[in-house]
Amino acid sequence: MGVTVKALMKSPWVFHVSAGSCNNCDIEILDCLCPRFDIERFGAVLIGSVRHADALIITGAMNRKSALRVRQLYDQAAKPCLVIAIGACALGQGVFRDSYPMVQPLDEVLPPGAVTVYVPGCPPKPEAMIAGVVKALAQLQPAAKPEGAEKEAADVQ
Amino acid sequence: MSSPWHLLGLLVFPGFIFMAAVGMLVSWVDRKVTARVQYRVGPSVLQPLWDLLKLIGKETVVPRGASRVAFFGAPLIGLAGAVFVGTMLGYAMFFHMGFNGDVIVALYLLVLPSLAIILGGSASRNPIASVGASREMKLTLGYELPFILALLVPVVKVSMAGGAGPLTLTGLLAYQAEHGSFAASFSGLLALVVAIICTQAKMALVPFDQAEAETELTGGALVEYSGPALAVFKLTKMLMFYAVPMFVVAVLWGGFGNSPGGIVLGVVKYLVLVVVITLVRNTNPRVRIEHAVKFFWGPVTALAVIAMVLAVWPKW
Amino acid sequence: MSSEQVIDRLKNALGDKLKGTFAQTALRIYAEADPADIVEVTRVIHNDLGARFVIASGMEMETDFEVLYHFAFENMPPPCPLVTVRVHLDHEKPLVDSITSGVPAAAWIEREMHELLGIEFKNHPNMKPLLLAEDWPKDVHPLRRGRPWEGKVDRKI
Repeated sequence: MGVTVKALMKSPWVFHVSAGSCNNCDIEILDCLCPRFDIERFGAVLIGSVRHADALIITGAMNRKSALRVRQLYDQAAKPCLVIAIGACALGQGVFRDSYPMVQPLDEVLPPGAVTVYVPGCPPKPEAMIAGVVKALAQLQPAAKPEGAEKEAADVQ
Repeated sequence: MSSPWHLLGLLVFPGFIFMAAVGMLVSWVDRKVTARVQYRVGPSVLQPLWDLLKLIGKETVVPRGASRVAFFGAPLIGLAGAVFVGTMLGYAMFFHMGFNGDVIVALYLLVLPSLAIILGGSASRNPIASVGASREMKLTLGYELPFILALLVPVVKVSMAGGAGPLTLTGLLAYQAEHGSFAASFSGLLALVVAIICTQAKMALVPFDQAEAETELTGGALVEYSGPALAVFKLTKMLMFYAVPMFVVAVLWGGFGNSPGGIVLGVVKYLVLVVVITLVRNTNPRVRIEHAVKFFWGPVTALAVIAMVLAVWPKW
Repeated sequence: MSSEQVIDRLKNALGDKLKGTFAQTALRIYAEADPADIVEVTRVIHNDLGARFVIASGMEMETDFEVLYHFAFENMPPPCPLVTVRVHLDHEKPLVDSITSGVPAAAWIEREMHELLGIEFKNHPNMKPLLLAEDWPKDVHPLRRGRPWEGKVDRKI
């Protein structure tokens, strides 16, 4: 694994996008930075400009106005950029699914394969969000060996 | 020493590599003290290094219509200024080599990183970056005058006392080795206080980080930078974290003496300055740019002028 | 000020214009007014009696539209009641005067009621859409009964 990929795993700078959320998930995201969970010890910092971002944390159901902006923000982020969808609204629009301003859900607004990790919950607990971030960072590593995959399949059987 | 050795001096010790190592360590100290003050744990020691390496691996996005020369030249100008001033300082402190007027050259070179932020922000073709650049311009106009006055107090004292080389760093260090540090005198103490306040602004730390106000200006002057160009800006900030307090310690607080005990004392003084800067950063809100400029042109310049006037008399 | 004192003050200031004042609880006072008088009533309550304009609500009922204006008498010693003045509007063409001449703070909520419910406000200084997206059709009012946006808006951007 290249040293820059390892560095990306050790220092994910996070940009928070709220695409019309009720702010419940946003409060729980801020919880992660507070002393009880403190994700800064993993190198994660909340940064101000989307160009500096390594991970976009997206909350909120996609309504007409914000879906356009989310797509623009994803294009503006410097690649490689992870996308972490947080909360039931970002996954499948949650309770607002048939409401009047809703357009397609997040993984159809962004290019296919852009969303790295989905964290369910309404809102998800900070522990769930940290687990999601860890899974997203682990996806940067090269793929697991085939024997490991076979063993997993055998366990499931 | 002949020229090839000087190149090594510029690049390795006391130049770029040494400055980068110390700067990264000190920037980690800053983040760790911040975290501890906020009752958190904070990052590990290598975190600044990982930040820089990660930024090198990202793509660089250049805004359409931005001047590529200015956009990419600005961070390099800042880096060059910081590296050269740190090297000059290192040569004066460790090898006792310098040239006449190197204090003035150092003061000029210390302005270059702020100029780099202004140039980079203006070249970004983004209204947020322009606001950040204009704030940095106003702030620089504010703190440069008291900073220069405070750092020229030792020059006045040395030349009034008839010491050798008042305008050389080695001359100021030698005078302090003989007669005690300037901070022991009243005007020197005032100058030290003024210099610490101006250091806070020069390194763009709260309460004077209006140029890069992340919660307010979404990145300020650096909003359009990404990838290696941003890594150079962050590295320049770390190098300034080494260069500016060390400059203040050397010129106003005795620097490193010749004996090993003096070196340890010098390091302790430098760390005390770093911790003071960090604690001020953590206990203050960001002030508005008008208040910052009024603050620097009012009380701080007045203090610096008083220190400059009092420096004429050797008792003060 | 107790609710009785507030009701007395309202009756003294407005006389006939304010009908059916009653105090539901110690802190909630309800009253009705004609759409023709509402500008005068709200101006008196806001400017002369010094109440704060909190918000206005619009509702579509089975037979008519209702607009409620809520004022809080906060510049008085506690307990300070909330006064709600209701107007009934025609169901086919809901039309009422804008109260912004006496209560400038009502400008935005009237814009919102106009675009979401279709209530017309005469003499409004700046009747532009507030919340809906720019490409939303102007005659579709989402908060009316019966899901009026079905088939009229594209659900993909």
